[in-house]
Amino acid sequence: MTTRTDAELVAAASSGDVDAFAILSRRYRDAYTRFVVRMVGDRDEAEDVLQSAFIRAFRALDSCRDPARFGAWLYRIVVNECRTCVTRRSRRERRIIRDDTQFNAAAAEPAVDARETLEDVEYALAQLDVDQREAFVMKHVEDMSYEEMADLTGVGVSALKMRVKRACTRLRELLEEVHDV
Amino acid sequence: MSDDRQLSDEAFGERVARQLRSVERFDDTFETDLVAAIRADHSVESGATAPARPLRRTWWGTPRTLHISPLAGLAMAASLAAIVSLGTLGIARSRPMTATPPTRVAAHVVHDTVNVVRFVFVGQAKTVSLVGDFNAWGAQPVALAPTGSNGTWSASVPLPSGRHEYAFIVDGQRWVADPFAPTSSDEFNTNSSIITVGS
Repeated sequence: MTTRTDAELVAAASSGDVDAFAILSRRYRDAYTRFVVRMVGDRDEAEDVLQSAFIRAFRALDSCRDPARFGAWLYRIVVNECRTCVTRRSRRERRIIRDDTQFNAAAAEPAVDARETLEDVEYALAQLDVDQREAFVMKHVEDMSYEEMADLTGVGVSALKMRVKRACTRLRELLEEVHDV
Repeated sequence: MSDDRQLSDEAFGERVARQLRSVERFDDTFETDLVAAIRADHSVESGATAPARPLRRTWWGTPRTLHISPLAGLAMAASLAAIVSLGTLGIARSRPMTATPPTRVAAHVVHDTVNVVRFVFVGQAKTVSLVGDFNAWGAQPVALAPTGSNGTWSASVPLPSGRHEYAFIVDGQRWVADPFAPTSSDEFNTNSSIITVGS
Protein backbone atom coordinates (compact mmCIF):
# COMPACT_ATOMS: atom_id res chain seq x y z
CA MET A 1 0.00 0.00 0.00
CA THR A 2 1.54 3.27 -1.10
CA THR A 3 1.28 6.41 0.96
CA ARG A 4 2.08 8.70 -1.93
CA THR A 5 -0.55 11.33 -2.52
CA ASP A 6 -2.47 11.71 -5.73
CA ALA A 7 -0.52 14.86 -6.53
CA GLU A 8 2.81 13.04 -6.08
CA LEU A 9 1.68 10.17 -8.25
CA VAL A 10 0.31 12.48 -10.93
CA ALA A 11 3.65 14.32 -11.02
CA ALA A 12 5.53 11.04 -11.36
CA ALA A 13 3.16 9.73 -14.02
CA SER A 14 3.42 12.99 -15.94
CA SER A 15 7.14 12.33 -16.16
CA GLY A 16 6.44 8.97 -17.75
CA ASP A 17 6.29 6.76 -14.67
CA VAL A 18 3.65 4.27 -15.83
CA ASP A 19 3.83 2.33 -12.56
CA ALA A 20 2.82 5.47 -10.66
CA PHE A 21 -0.18 5.72 -12.94
CA ALA A 22 -1.01 2.08 -12.26
CA ILE A 23 -1.19 2.94 -8.55
CA LEU A 24 -3.63 5.73 -9.35
CA SER A 25 -5.62 3.30 -11.44
CA ARG A 26 -5.83 0.80 -8.58
CA ARG A 27 -6.87 3.61 -6.27
CA TYR A 28 -9.83 4.74 -8.39
CA ARG A 29 -10.95 2.01 -10.74
CA ASP A 30 -13.22 0.19 -8.30
CA ALA A 31 -15.03 3.41 -7.53
CA TYR A 32 -15.85 3.93 -11.21
CA THR A 33 -16.42 0.38 -12.35
CA ARG A 34 -20.07 0.10 -11.40
CA PHE A 35 -20.92 3.37 -13.12
CA VAL A 36 -19.24 2.22 -16.33
CA VAL A 37 -20.84 -1.23 -16.24
CA ARG A 38 -24.30 0.27 -15.74
CA MET A 39 -23.79 2.84 -18.47
CA VAL A 40 -22.36 0.46 -21.04
CA GLY A 41 -24.38 -2.59 -20.07
CA ASP A 42 -21.79 -5.14 -21.10
CA ARG A 43 -19.05 -6.05 -18.64
CA ASP A 44 -16.33 -6.79 -21.19
CA GLU A 45 -17.06 -3.65 -23.10
CA ALA A 46 -17.14 -1.72 -19.83
CA GLU A 47 -13.63 -2.90 -19.03
CA ASP A 48 -12.47 -1.65 -22.41
CA VAL A 49 -14.18 1.68 -21.87
CA LEU A 50 -12.51 2.11 -18.50
CA GLN A 51 -9.14 1.15 -19.99
CA SER A 52 -9.63 3.71 -22.74
CA ALA A 53 -10.59 6.38 -20.26
CA PHE A 54 -7.46 5.70 -18.19
CA ILE A 55 -5.22 5.71 -21.26
CA ARG A 56 -6.76 8.96 -22.31
CA ALA A 57 -6.19 10.34 -18.82
CA PHE A 58 -2.55 9.29 -18.90
CA ARG A 59 -2.10 11.10 -22.18
CA ALA A 60 -3.74 14.22 -20.81
CA LEU A 61 -2.09 14.33 -17.38
CA ASP A 62 -0.46 17.65 -18.17
CA SER A 63 -3.90 19.19 -18.39
CA CYS A 64 -4.87 18.05 -14.90
CA ARG A 65 -4.74 21.48 -13.29
CA ASP A 66 -5.39 20.34 -9.73
CA PRO A 67 -3.59 17.01 -9.21
CA ALA A 68 -4.87 16.83 -5.64
CA ARG A 69 -8.32 16.39 -7.18
CA PHE A 70 -7.17 13.85 -9.69
CA GLY A 71 -10.09 11.54 -8.88
CA ALA A 72 -12.72 14.09 -9.88
CA TRP A 73 -10.79 14.97 -13.04
CA LEU A 74 -10.51 11.32 -13.94
CA TYR A 75 -14.20 10.75 -13.31
CA ARG A 76 -15.08 13.38 -15.90
CA ILE A 77 -12.99 11.54 -18.45
CA VAL A 78 -14.68 8.28 -17.52
CA VAL A 79 -18.12 9.86 -17.90
CA ASN A 80 -17.21 11.27 -21.31
CA GLU A 81 -15.79 7.95 -22.44
CA CYS A 82 -19.03 6.22 -21.50
CA ARG A 83 -21.04 8.76 -23.45
CA THR A 84 -18.82 8.33 -26.48
CA CYS A 85 -19.16 4.56 -26.31
CA VAL A 86 -22.93 4.57 -25.87
CA THR A 87 -23.48 7.18 -28.56
CA ARG A 88 -21.32 5.37 -31.09
CA ARG A 89 -22.95 2.07 -30.32
CA SER A 90 -26.46 3.46 -30.64
CA ARG A 91 -25.46 4.83 -34.02
CA ARG A 92 -24.26 1.38 -35.04
CA GLU A 93 -27.26 -0.38 -33.60
CA ARG A 94 -29.70 1.68 -35.56
CA ARG A 95 -28.69 -0.45 -38.49
CA ILE A 96 -29.56 -3.62 -36.60
CA ILE A 97 -33.10 -4.90 -36.45
CA ARG A 98 -34.03 -5.09 -32.82
CA ASP A 99 -35.10 -8.47 -31.74
CA ASP A 100 -37.99 -7.57 -29.47
CA THR A 101 -39.65 -10.88 -30.12
CA GLN A 102 -37.18 -12.74 -28.00
CA PHE A 103 -37.40 -10.17 -25.24
CA ASN A 104 -41.18 -10.20 -25.21
CA ALA A 105 -41.23 -13.98 -25.17
CA ALA A 106 -38.96 -13.99 -22.15
CA ALA A 107 -41.03 -11.30 -20.50
CA ALA A 108 -44.19 -13.32 -21.01
CA GLU A 109 -42.87 -16.02 -18.75
CA PRO A 110 -44.22 -15.72 -15.22
CA ALA A 111 -42.02 -13.54 -13.07
CA VAL A 112 -40.73 -15.15 -9.93
CA ASP A 113 -42.20 -12.54 -7.65
CA ALA A 114 -44.15 -10.43 -10.14
CA ARG A 115 -41.43 -7.86 -9.94
CA GLU A 116 -38.74 -7.07 -12.43
CA THR A 117 -35.55 -9.04 -12.50
CA LEU A 118 -32.11 -7.53 -12.76
CA GLU A 119 -32.13 -8.47 -16.45
CA ASP A 120 -35.41 -6.59 -16.91
CA VAL A 121 -33.97 -3.53 -15.26
CA GLU A 122 -30.76 -3.68 -17.26
CA TYR A 123 -32.74 -4.04 -20.47
CA ALA A 124 -34.97 -1.10 -19.60
CA LEU A 125 -31.97 0.99 -18.60
CA ALA A 126 -30.37 0.26 -21.95
CA GLN A 127 -33.46 1.65 -23.73
CA LEU A 128 -33.02 5.10 -22.17
CA ASP A 129 -31.21 7.72 -24.14
CA VAL A 130 -27.71 8.42 -22.94
CA ASP A 131 -28.57 11.65 -21.10
CA GLN A 132 -31.34 10.02 -19.10
CA ARG A 133 -29.35 6.88 -18.41
CA GLU A 134 -26.37 8.85 -17.20
CA ALA A 135 -28.48 11.05 -14.94
CA PHE A 136 -30.39 8.09 -13.53
CA VAL A 137 -27.26 6.05 -12.78
CA MET A 138 -25.51 9.00 -11.16
CA LYS A 139 -28.50 9.90 -9.00
CA HIS A 140 -30.03 6.59 -8.03
CA VAL A 141 -27.22 4.08 -8.42
CA GLU A 142 -24.17 6.16 -7.49
CA ASP A 143 -26.18 8.24 -5.02
CA MET A 144 -24.72 11.55 -6.10
CA SER A 145 -26.19 14.92 -5.24
CA TYR A 146 -27.42 17.07 -8.09
CA GLU A 147 -24.60 19.48 -7.37
CA GLU A 148 -22.02 16.71 -7.80
CA MET A 149 -23.72 15.64 -11.00
CA ALA A 150 -23.69 19.18 -12.32
CA ASP A 151 -19.99 19.49 -11.50
CA LEU A 152 -19.21 16.29 -13.35
CA THR A 153 -21.35 16.82 -16.42
CA GLY A 154 -21.44 20.57 -16.80
CA VAL A 155 -25.23 20.39 -17.03
CA GLY A 156 -27.44 22.56 -14.82
CA VAL A 157 -29.20 21.15 -11.78
CA SER A 158 -32.69 21.83 -13.17
CA ALA A 159 -31.95 20.02 -16.40
CA LEU A 160 -30.50 17.09 -14.47
CA LYS A 161 -33.59 16.85 -12.28
CA MET A 162 -35.72 16.76 -15.40
CA ARG A 163 -33.57 14.03 -16.91
CA VAL A 164 -33.84 11.90 -13.78
CA LYS A 165 -37.58 12.41 -13.62
CA ARG A 166 -38.02 11.45 -17.29
CA ALA A 167 -35.72 8.47 -16.83
CA CYS A 168 -37.82 7.22 -13.91
CA THR A 169 -41.03 7.71 -15.86
CA ARG A 170 -39.66 5.91 -18.88
CA LEU A 171 -38.26 3.06 -16.78
CA ARG A 172 -41.61 2.60 -15.16
CA GLU A 173 -43.34 2.46 -18.54
CA LEU A 174 -40.84 -0.04 -19.89
CA LEU A 175 -41.02 -2.29 -16.85
CA GLU A 176 -44.78 -2.16 -16.69
CA GLU A 177 -44.90 -3.20 -20.32
CA VAL A 178 -42.83 -6.21 -19.38
CA HIS A 179 -45.23 -7.28 -16.67
CA ASP A 180 -48.39 -6.43 -18.55
CA VAL A 181 -47.54 -8.68 -21.49
CA MET B 1 -47.08 -4.04 -9.97
CA SER B 2 -50.23 -2.69 -8.34
CA ASP B 3 -48.31 -1.49 -5.28
CA ASP B 4 -45.85 0.23 -7.58
CA ARG B 5 -48.59 2.32 -9.13
CA GLN B 6 -48.92 4.11 -5.81
CA LEU B 7 -45.30 5.19 -5.90
CA SER B 8 -44.10 8.39 -7.46
CA ASP B 9 -41.92 7.92 -10.50
CA GLU B 10 -38.84 8.89 -8.50
CA ALA B 11 -39.66 6.48 -5.71
CA PHE B 12 -40.17 3.80 -8.31
CA GLY B 13 -36.80 4.66 -9.82
CA GLU B 14 -35.19 4.48 -6.42
CA ARG B 15 -36.63 1.04 -5.82
CA VAL B 16 -35.59 -0.22 -9.21
CA ALA B 17 -32.09 1.18 -8.80
CA ARG B 18 -31.44 -1.00 -5.76
CA GLN B 19 -30.91 -3.91 -8.08
CA LEU B 20 -28.24 -1.98 -9.90
CA ARG B 21 -26.17 -1.18 -6.83
CA SER B 22 -24.34 -4.46 -6.55
CA VAL B 23 -20.59 -3.93 -6.53
CA GLU B 24 -18.79 -4.45 -9.82
CA ARG B 25 -15.06 -5.09 -9.90
CA PHE B 26 -12.45 -5.93 -12.49
CA ASP B 27 -9.58 -8.11 -11.39
CA ASP B 28 -5.96 -7.05 -11.13
CA THR B 29 -5.23 -7.90 -14.74
CA PHE B 30 -6.85 -4.52 -15.36
CA GLU B 31 -3.65 -2.73 -14.32
CA THR B 32 -1.45 -5.26 -16.12
CA ASP B 33 -3.36 -4.63 -19.33
CA LEU B 34 -3.44 -0.90 -18.72
CA VAL B 35 0.32 -0.64 -18.21
CA ALA B 36 0.96 -2.75 -21.30
CA ALA B 37 -1.43 -0.63 -23.34
CA ILE B 38 0.15 2.62 -22.19
CA ARG B 39 3.63 1.32 -22.96
CA ALA B 40 2.44 0.13 -26.36
CA ASP B 41 0.88 3.54 -26.88
CA HIS B 42 4.24 5.15 -26.12
CA SER B 43 6.03 2.83 -28.49
CA VAL B 44 3.56 3.73 -31.22
CA GLU B 45 4.09 7.41 -30.64
CA SER B 46 7.84 7.32 -30.26
CA GLY B 47 8.68 4.41 -32.53
CA ALA B 48 9.81 6.47 -35.47
CA THR B 49 12.26 3.75 -36.34
CA ALA B 50 9.58 1.09 -36.74
CA PRO B 51 10.69 -0.88 -39.75
CA ALA B 52 8.68 -2.84 -42.22
CA ARG B 53 8.11 -6.44 -41.28
CA PRO B 54 11.72 -7.58 -40.81
CA LEU B 55 13.35 -9.84 -43.30
CA ARG B 56 14.98 -11.65 -40.43
CA ARG B 57 12.92 -12.36 -37.38
CA THR B 58 14.60 -11.35 -34.22
CA TRP B 59 13.66 -12.82 -30.89
CA TRP B 60 11.44 -15.64 -31.99
CA GLY B 61 13.87 -17.18 -34.44
CA THR B 62 13.24 -18.46 -37.89
CA PRO B 63 9.70 -18.12 -39.07
CA ARG B 64 7.81 -21.32 -39.53
CA THR B 65 5.16 -21.80 -42.06
CA LEU B 66 1.99 -22.90 -40.39
CA HIS B 67 0.53 -26.03 -41.92
CA ILE B 68 -3.10 -26.47 -41.06
CA SER B 69 -5.15 -29.55 -41.76
CA PRO B 70 -8.78 -28.93 -42.69
CA LEU B 71 -9.84 -30.01 -39.22
CA ALA B 72 -7.20 -27.93 -37.53
CA GLY B 73 -8.11 -25.09 -39.81
CA LEU B 74 -11.69 -25.23 -38.68
CA ALA B 75 -10.62 -25.37 -35.06
CA MET B 76 -8.31 -22.45 -35.52
CA ALA B 77 -10.90 -20.47 -37.44
CA ALA B 78 -13.17 -20.94 -34.48
CA SER B 79 -10.51 -19.98 -32.05
CA LEU B 80 -8.94 -16.82 -33.33
CA ALA B 81 -10.35 -13.38 -33.51
CA ALA B 82 -9.19 -9.84 -33.41
CA ILE B 83 -11.98 -7.65 -32.28
CA VAL B 84 -12.19 -3.94 -32.70
CA SER B 85 -13.78 -3.35 -29.41
CA LEU B 86 -13.90 0.30 -28.74
CA GLY B 87 -14.47 3.67 -30.22
CA THR B 88 -12.07 6.47 -30.66
CA LEU B 89 -10.43 8.09 -27.69
CA GLY B 90 -10.15 11.55 -29.08
CA ILE B 91 -12.63 12.88 -31.55
CA ALA B 92 -12.25 16.60 -31.20
CA ARG B 93 -10.77 16.99 -34.64
CA SER B 94 -11.63 15.05 -37.68
CA ARG B 95 -8.73 14.64 -40.04
CA PRO B 96 -9.18 12.85 -43.30
CA MET B 97 -7.14 9.69 -43.19
CA THR B 98 -5.90 7.86 -46.20
CA ALA B 99 -4.81 4.27 -45.94
CA THR B 100 -1.50 4.51 -44.16
CA PRO B 101 1.31 2.37 -45.50
CA PRO B 102 2.13 -0.03 -42.69
CA THR B 103 5.77 0.95 -42.68
CA ARG B 104 4.81 4.51 -41.93
CA VAL B 105 2.40 4.07 -39.08
CA ALA B 106 4.76 5.44 -36.50
CA ALA B 107 5.50 8.47 -38.60
CA HIS B 108 1.85 9.26 -39.20
CA VAL B 109 0.32 8.94 -35.79
CA VAL B 110 -2.63 11.23 -35.34
CA HIS B 111 -2.02 12.23 -31.77
CA ASP B 112 -5.59 12.96 -30.84
CA THR B 113 -7.02 9.81 -32.32
CA VAL B 114 -6.43 6.37 -30.89
CA ASN B 115 -8.57 3.30 -31.19
CA VAL B 116 -8.28 0.63 -28.57
CA VAL B 117 -8.31 -2.73 -30.27
CA ARG B 118 -8.79 -5.89 -28.29
CA PHE B 119 -6.93 -8.85 -29.71
CA VAL B 120 -8.20 -12.22 -28.59
CA PHE B 121 -6.54 -15.58 -29.12
CA VAL B 122 -8.19 -18.81 -28.09
CA GLY B 123 -6.06 -21.92 -28.10
CA GLN B 124 -3.66 -24.00 -26.11
CA ALA B 125 -0.48 -22.05 -25.40
CA LYS B 126 2.01 -21.23 -22.70
CA THR B 127 2.58 -17.71 -23.96
CA VAL B 128 0.99 -15.59 -26.64
CA SER B 129 2.41 -12.34 -27.95
CA LEU B 130 1.18 -9.86 -30.48
CA VAL B 131 3.53 -8.44 -33.06
CA GLY B 132 2.77 -6.02 -35.80
CA ASP B 133 3.87 -2.95 -37.65
CA PHE B 134 2.67 -0.94 -34.66
CA ASN B 135 5.34 -2.43 -32.39
CA ALA B 136 8.10 -2.78 -34.95
CA TRP B 137 7.27 -6.45 -35.42
CA GLY B 138 8.28 -7.51 -32.00
CA ALA B 139 10.78 -4.90 -30.87
CA GLN B 140 8.37 -4.51 -27.98
CA PRO B 141 5.97 -7.45 -28.31
CA VAL B 142 2.67 -7.13 -26.51
CA ALA B 143 2.05 -10.10 -24.24
CA LEU B 144 -1.52 -11.34 -24.22
CA ALA B 145 -2.81 -12.20 -20.77
CA PRO B 146 -4.81 -15.32 -20.04
CA THR B 147 -8.36 -14.26 -19.34
CA GLY B 148 -9.90 -17.51 -18.25
CA SER B 149 -9.36 -21.19 -17.88
CA ASN B 150 -10.52 -22.02 -21.39
CA GLY B 151 -7.38 -20.96 -23.19
CA THR B 152 -8.47 -17.42 -23.93
CA TRP B 153 -5.78 -14.77 -24.15
CA SER B 154 -6.31 -11.10 -24.77
CA ALA B 155 -4.63 -7.73 -24.90
CA SER B 156 -5.95 -4.28 -25.63
CA VAL B 157 -3.71 -2.15 -27.77
CA PRO B 158 -4.19 1.49 -28.70
CA LEU B 159 -3.72 1.92 -32.44
CA PRO B 160 -3.83 4.97 -34.63
CA SER B 161 -6.52 4.99 -37.27
CA GLY B 162 -5.49 3.27 -40.45
CA ARG B 163 -4.32 -0.06 -41.74
CA HIS B 164 -2.14 -2.33 -39.63
CA GLU B 165 -0.58 -5.74 -40.04
CA TYR B 166 -0.21 -8.15 -37.16
CA ALA B 167 0.27 -11.76 -36.13
CA PHE B 168 0.37 -13.80 -32.95
CA ILE B 169 3.50 -15.54 -31.69
CA VAL B 170 2.55 -18.65 -29.77
CA ASP B 171 4.96 -20.15 -27.24
CA GLY B 172 7.69 -17.84 -28.42
CA GLN B 173 8.14 -19.37 -31.83
CA ARG B 174 4.96 -20.25 -33.68
CA TRP B 175 3.71 -17.55 -36.04
CA VAL B 176 -0.08 -17.54 -36.32
CA ALA B 177 -2.12 -15.26 -38.54
CA ASP B 178 -5.77 -14.58 -37.92
CA PRO B 179 -7.80 -16.71 -40.36
CA PHE B 180 -10.74 -14.33 -40.16
CA ALA B 181 -8.74 -11.32 -41.32
CA PRO B 182 -7.40 -10.39 -44.73
CA THR B 183 -3.78 -11.46 -45.07
CA SER B 184 -0.60 -10.24 -46.64
CA SER B 185 2.50 -12.28 -47.34
CA ASP B 186 6.12 -11.39 -47.06
CA GLU B 187 9.16 -12.63 -48.93
CA PHE B 188 9.07 -15.87 -46.94
CA ASN B 189 5.42 -16.47 -47.81
CA THR B 190 4.59 -15.99 -44.18
CA ASN B 191 1.10 -14.64 -43.76
CA SER B 192 0.22 -11.78 -41.51
CA SER B 193 -3.19 -10.33 -40.87
CA ILE B 194 -4.53 -6.94 -41.76
CA ILE B 195 -6.79 -4.81 -39.64
CA THR B 196 -8.13 -1.38 -40.46
CA VAL B 197 -9.18 0.69 -37.51
CA GLY B 198 -11.09 3.92 -37.38
CA SER B 199 -13.62 4.76 -40.00
